[in-house]
Amino acid sequence: MLFSGIPFLFYFLPITLVLYAIAPGKLKNPVLVFASLIFYAWGEPKYVILMVATITAGYGFGLLIEKCRKRGRYSGLVFSMGVICVLLSLGFFKYTDFLLGTINSVAKTNISLPCIALPIGISFYSFQLISYLADVYRGEETAQRNYFDLAAYISFFPQLIAGPIVRYGDVAKQLKERKHTPEKISYGAGRFVIGLSKKMLIANVLAEFCQAFYNSGEKSTLLTWGYAIAYSLQVYFDFSGYSDMAIGLGSIFGFEFPENFNYPFISGSVTEFWRRWHMTLGSWFRDYVYIPLGGNRRGTVIHLRNIFVVWALTGLWHGASWNFVVWGLYYAVLLLIDKYCLGKLLSKTGPLKYILTAFATIVGFVIFDSATMKSAMLVFGSMAGLSEYGLLTTEGLYYIRSYGPVMLLAIIGATPLPKKAYSRLKEERTLGSILSLIEPLYLVILLMVCVAYMVDGSFNPFLYFRF
Amino acid sequence: MEKIKPFVTMTILGIFLFTMSFLCWIHPAEEFSLSERRKLAKMPKLSAETIVNGSFMKNFETYSQDQFPARESMRSVAAFFSMEILQKKDNHDIYVENSSFAKLDYPLNETSIEYASKRFGLVYEKYLNRDNCNVFLSVVPDKGYFLAKENGYPAMDYGRLCSLLIEEMPYAEYIDIFDTLDADCYYKTDPHWRQEKIYGTAKTIAEAMGVSVSGSYKEASLDVAYKGNYAGQSAIKTESETINYVTNAILDNCVVTNYESNTVGGIYDFDKGNGRDPYEFFLSGPVSLLKIENPTVKNGKKLIVFRDSFGSSIAPYLSEGYNETWLVDIRYLAPEYLDKFLEFDGADVLFIYSTSVLNHSETIK
Repeated sequence: MLFSGIPFLFYFLPITLVLYAIAPGKLKNPVLVFASLIFYAWGEPKYVILMVATITAGYGFGLLIEKCRKRGRYSGLVFSMGVICVLLSLGFFKYTDFLLGTINSVAKTNISLPCIALPIGISFYSFQLISYLADVYRGEETAQRNYFDLAAYISFFPQLIAGPIVRYGDVAKQLKERKHTPEKISYGAGRFVIGLSKKMLIANVLAEFCQAFYNSGEKSTLLTWGYAIAYSLQVYFDFSGYSDMAIGLGSIFGFEFPENFNYPFISGSVTEFWRRWHMTLGSWFRDYVYIPLGGNRRGTVIHLRNIFVVWALTGLWHGASWNFVVWGLYYAVLLLIDKYCLGKLLSKTGPLKYILTAFATIVGFVIFDSATMKSAMLVFGSMAGLSEYGLLTTEGLYYIRSYGPVMLLAIIGATPLPKKAYSRLKEERTLGSILSLIEPLYLVILLMVCVAYMVDGSFNPFLYFRF
Repeated sequence: MEKIKPFVTMTILGIFLFTMSFLCWIHPAEEFSLSERRKLAKMPKLSAETIVNGSFMKNFETYSQDQFPARESMRSVAAFFSMEILQKKDNHDIYVENSSFAKLDYPLNETSIEYASKRFGLVYEKYLNRDNCNVFLSVVPDKGYFLAKENGYPAMDYGRLCSLLIEEMPYAEYIDIFDTLDADCYYKTDPHWRQEKIYGTAKTIAEAMGVSVSGSYKEASLDVAYKGNYAGQSAIKTESETINYVTNAILDNCVVTNYESNTVGGIYDFDKGNGRDPYEFFLSGPVSLLKIENPTVKNGKKLIVFRDSFGSSIAPYLSEGYNETWLVDIRYLAPEYLDKFLEFDGADVLFIYSTSVLNHSETIK
């Protein structure tokens, strides 16, 4: 079930809200667990068992780790076993075909691929569970004794399928006690509508342009550039829109989730980009892989190793394919160049650093979207002016004209400008009052337009749900 | 204001959510979408099997979209936002120029043209390869031919389409009708041409086949506010049109045998004209096999028309020159079985298809 669908918005959500509202305090988390399992089962009926098994395993391992830690024995072993179990599950479902395919390519064997269906959200909830076990192992958090509280943390539907990756520590207290105020609910509802609008009205429209590019038999240079920019923006609006919806829904149910995006396209360096893009994933890898490996505190060689390991894993996390690994390593190289070579120089180049960072990001997303490196190279060739169709064809011009306005809207929307402009207008006394007054109205209008798109369109999943 | 704003926001959004939710639950299911000319999804079967295999959920997604309350209005809202706010040039591949709706059909699919010509070739080899059969070919340009290029929309290579077909069908005499048409010869909101505007086209074809059409008609209108296929598909708001048709004593005396429904009637089907797709007024719409008998003409000539839906409105003109006019739609009737129904000996045979069908010929059996 997806947020951008009618079953979620008009069937699942209202019932869940009512049940949650009428449930007494102690039953609120079980209601969320029940609703989340229904939500998950809607998309993956068979894998609900895996979800429940994962929660149960996490619950058991958490308690055992804490018990062992208090006794001063075997906590490390139990923690390792817990993490291995989670990683085995993730590895089996997500990477078996990739591994066998790679063996076939390298060893020229012909092992048949089992084509295992990927449980939705497994990358997200696996990482959440690992972070829980790690925090308990480190003594930073107490193991959760209430099964439903832990289940609510792992399976909570707003962030189950596509994040943000919520650390247990961020919500441990909120699981026990949280406030439901009109301010939080109204903030959450508004944030949800904004996120839905980003997804339906910008990301999905940009996706149409990208689809037109894929279908085109005349990939001219400018059309290819248009696609590369549109795809980068599509991923941003799709994913950040989803994060907004997750944070908004969390707020409605009394939770405060961490932010996941902070206007990444205004970054002046690749380092800064990754501090603004998918922040919860970046901080997860930093805290649970990079720092335990030694970070940058054990010499340059170790630092280089750690960067490459983290970014190869980051790439692999995004997809079980070598182009994702290349994508991850691409960023590893750029980050190291930033740190060791050109970072200080670039920081003094004024606007050029933003252009270069944007360019690097767009190139990265082309790799991200390509099925193979060969197809990525073809795209790069076209961007470099080597297209056999020249600079622009009639078809290319048409699509750029047709989607140009929404791309412009997306470019502006990807910066803090609209928010700053709106805040400034609200500072005006009369205008500010008017804007406050009509804010609920335009949220309803936006919601109605999004629903109109849902009715008119076809089923359409978030890009990141496959992770 | 800031103090009460959260309550107002919560209330307004809550009312919207719960009201629409309530309507979704109680809204009676509709069978058919008039604007889209298709059946709407029904509530899927709920069982342990359909839940475990996920088919219930998948079908419910479609059902919830199809059966959403005020669906048509919602589609219009989406179309308005897309075209007017986001300034997109088309909605669902349909664009509007000079109030006329047309569909983007690009690029030319040469494989499709080859496939169509192979199927026509099969018909020729099996039935028409004899001395007393005259075979003709005509291609009906879609509206895009007149609207696309000059307004900056991508357009297929019509010249290449025709030359490919001519090359693959050397046994057929090509009748070029492109110059007999313009954008005004078509309905504004539908892909089809207007019968009252294509007399010139019919005359060109008839003369090429060595027959004549009367040229003398009365024009009448169907009492229906017509919004064609493109208006429905695009959900763009537009005015309705009228369907006009031509009559004279010859056409009024024609007898049409519909071999699909086993009925006999006239050229114009008034029941269908008031039905879901009023264009089916012309010879009852998509029918695999029809015969028009013209008692007024005594020349013993027979015409067999292999056609798509464009043939329905031009065939009445052509039938003026023949004793019998057969209309065959090989999208519904496989060519291998034609000899069960038709005698080809001595017939004039016309293949007349639109560029849209030829560019997507997978529907041809």
